[in-house]
Amino acid sequence: MAEVKQDSELNDDRYEAFVRLFTQYERDIWRFIRSLVPNSTDTDDVLQQSAIVLWRKFEQFDTSTNFMKWACVVARYEALAYRRKIARDRLVFSEDILSLIADEGIEELEVRTAEKDALTLCLGKLNGRQRKFLTLAYTSGIKTKDLAEEAGSTAAAFYMKLKRLRHQLQACIEKNLNHSPSSEAS
Amino acid sequence: MKSQNSKNFGELPKDEQQWIEDYLNETISQEDFEALEERMRTSPELRACLRSYLSLDHSLRMTAEENAEAASNSATAPWLSAVGDETSSAPVFPIWPTALAACIAFIFGLMLMKVNEPKTSEVAQKQESKQKAHAKGFAAINQLNDAQWAQGSPGFRRGDTLSSETITLESGMAEIQFFSGAVMTLKGPSEITLQSAWEATCLDGNIRMRVPPAARGFKLNTDSSQIIDLGTEFGLQVRDGESNVEVFEGEIAVTHEGEDQGVLEEGHALGMKTDGPAAVTALGSIAYPTSMSSSAAISKSRDGFAQWQAYREYLREDSRLLAYYTFEDGNDRGLTPSLTTPRNSDLDGAIILAEPVAGRWSGLKPALEFRRPGARVRVNIPGEFQAFTFASWVRIDGLNHEYSAFFMGDGYENGEPHWQIRNDGKVMLSVMVHQDLPHPRHPESRFHHVYLSPQIWDISMSGQWIHLAATMDPEKREVCHYLNGEQVSKETITDEFFVEKFRIGNGEIGNWGQPFRKDPSFAIRNLNGRMDEMAIFKAALSAGEIQNLYHASATEEH
Repeated sequence: MAEVKQDSELNDDRYEAFVRLFTQYERDIWRFIRSLVPNSTDTDDVLQQSAIVLWRKFEQFDTSTNFMKWACVVARYEALAYRRKIARDRLVFSEDILSLIADEGIEELEVRTAEKDALTLCLGKLNGRQRKFLTLAYTSGIKTKDLAEEAGSTAAAFYMKLKRLRHQLQACIEKNLNHSPSSEAS
Repeated sequence: MKSQNSKNFGELPKDEQQWIEDYLNETISQEDFEALEERMRTSPELRACLRSYLSLDHSLRMTAEENAEAASNSATAPWLSAVGDETSSAPVFPIWPTALAACIAFIFGLMLMKVNEPKTSEVAQKQESKQKAHAKGFAAINQLNDAQWAQGSPGFRRGDTLSSETITLESGMAEIQFFSGAVMTLKGPSEITLQSAWEATCLDGNIRMRVPPAARGFKLNTDSSQIIDLGTEFGLQVRDGESNVEVFEGEIAVTHEGEDQGVLEEGHALGMKTDGPAAVTALGSIAYPTSMSSSAAISKSRDGFAQWQAYREYLREDSRLLAYYTFEDGNDRGLTPSLTTPRNSDLDGAIILAEPVAGRWSGLKPALEFRRPGARVRVNIPGEFQAFTFASWVRIDGLNHEYSAFFMGDGYENGEPHWQIRNDGKVMLSVMVHQDLPHPRHPESRFHHVYLSPQIWDISMSGQWIHLAATMDPEKREVCHYLNGEQVSKETITDEFFVEKFRIGNGEIGNWGQPFRKDPSFAIRNLNGRMDEMAIFKAALSAGEIQNLYHASATEEH
């Protein structure tokens, strides 16, 4: 028991440092994992598993280096392990492709951040009705999957509209990234 | 920043664009998926676009969720702001809530808590498929009175959903509500086959049909005839193949043994033999059941209510009671008094958004419904105690959220209990062992422990009143769960999770006031259903006492 107590203070600090970092990057790690597995539920699962591993290995992490990058490397392996579990009956990328997406993704983390900033600008260019539509589409609990599969004209129209808006935003983001001064400088 | 050979999404071939779209929506076919993979193997542009597009989807979802939340909190949510102020500098992409940072230490622990449980998504999926299987009914048991079911046939309880099946009522009375709106009152012995919300066959028995205008056209068959209701109330008796029908109100269309369809009007009766023609008979020669919302049923229900009132008066004298809410009075003032003796108004609960609705005794005593996400009763229960018991009559309409709350201590601090049900129908009684220490085996999580019951609820029980209890007994080192007075689980409290002192302080009935994480699947815990009473004791009641509590407070049909 005495030993435990000695360690506990150290542990507390470490724990706090970890939680702070993890919380800060949780969504970005999620975003990274999402590019590797079929859907959000899978992403949640891999994120949770990664979190456990990250905490276990946190001792080995050099706090002066990039936590996000380190976390993505761990998440990459967890995604590969997860892939082996679900691959049999699911449409999941094969190992070589998953590794490619992951490795390139790790090198691209700054692009993701730039895209997020650009999206803010691009959303600002939409009109109120379009923004309202997006809020609704993404929070109504309706799965795009259900909409896309539904034959009804309302659902189809809804889905088409969502797709169009996404394409429009994607184009806007890309335009911003390609022409932003920061990208020319780097 | 982008690599030289990068392509914009719009520059990809149309088929590749569509594959990414379909992959995102999980609608991609096996064939297309294989094609996508093949192309990705050689195309870094395609891979980059896939990452970028999936990322956009994620960002949009995050932004939408934050905006929806902001919209529910204030009228000035950025996305919902008026068209035209697009040039204003109002941030469209909201900053992450700072509150998130405030509860930093909890977030991770709680996420791990989720990990330690069986795979929730799997459970949720199973539950979902189960729900689909059970929810196919087209009628439900509305009322029961001394109902005895034939031996070997399944028994039914109030609120049970019915589908295509035969119901054999030996004695007593039952009322079936068809989802078309038609109501059938049966008096035993009766044997009825249900075909749809619009059709049933009476093989034998004595029934009354009440058909509102919306259910006009409801068909009732016998061996030899068919009655089409034209919006009315009528009685039908079938005994030994001979049918009698009498119209109390409105009119019905009757077809008997290939005869032409005839219309029978209000105040007329008809006798139909299997092998003979239909003939007009005298009124009042048969005693048809009366609708159950009438006299007998109500007086019976009053008896049950009086019994419950006596139990309530007895219970409130129990010195072990910490708080006792029956939601009877004060609903109009937004308060529900604690009935503990001596009276202490500090224990009164504040009703927020929970609505008074019909309880176990319709018309005699209200219950509270927690259907709205913000619905709750806030309480403050001071003091420290060495054991505790929760006991409650609840009606769960659905387990829509991952967790649905019965009673939750606000901060989940040392010795604070949480009593809730998970969406797989298992009741959770949990307590914080050491708020500042990591869990010994799952160091990422705070040191708490969940005592789980077996599955006690599934969607077939939707709308049924059930009695739930849970006891925490450190002296005997036991945590027990009860359903309708029966013990369903008993778990030993190990040294590791042993807690000496419990406290509640600020807490909520039917919801959780201070969730650690904001994502809806975690934070939204309002009980989709009703609560008739909630008793909290500062002692662990024995199995016998829980059984007594149940029997003394149960209504006829429980």
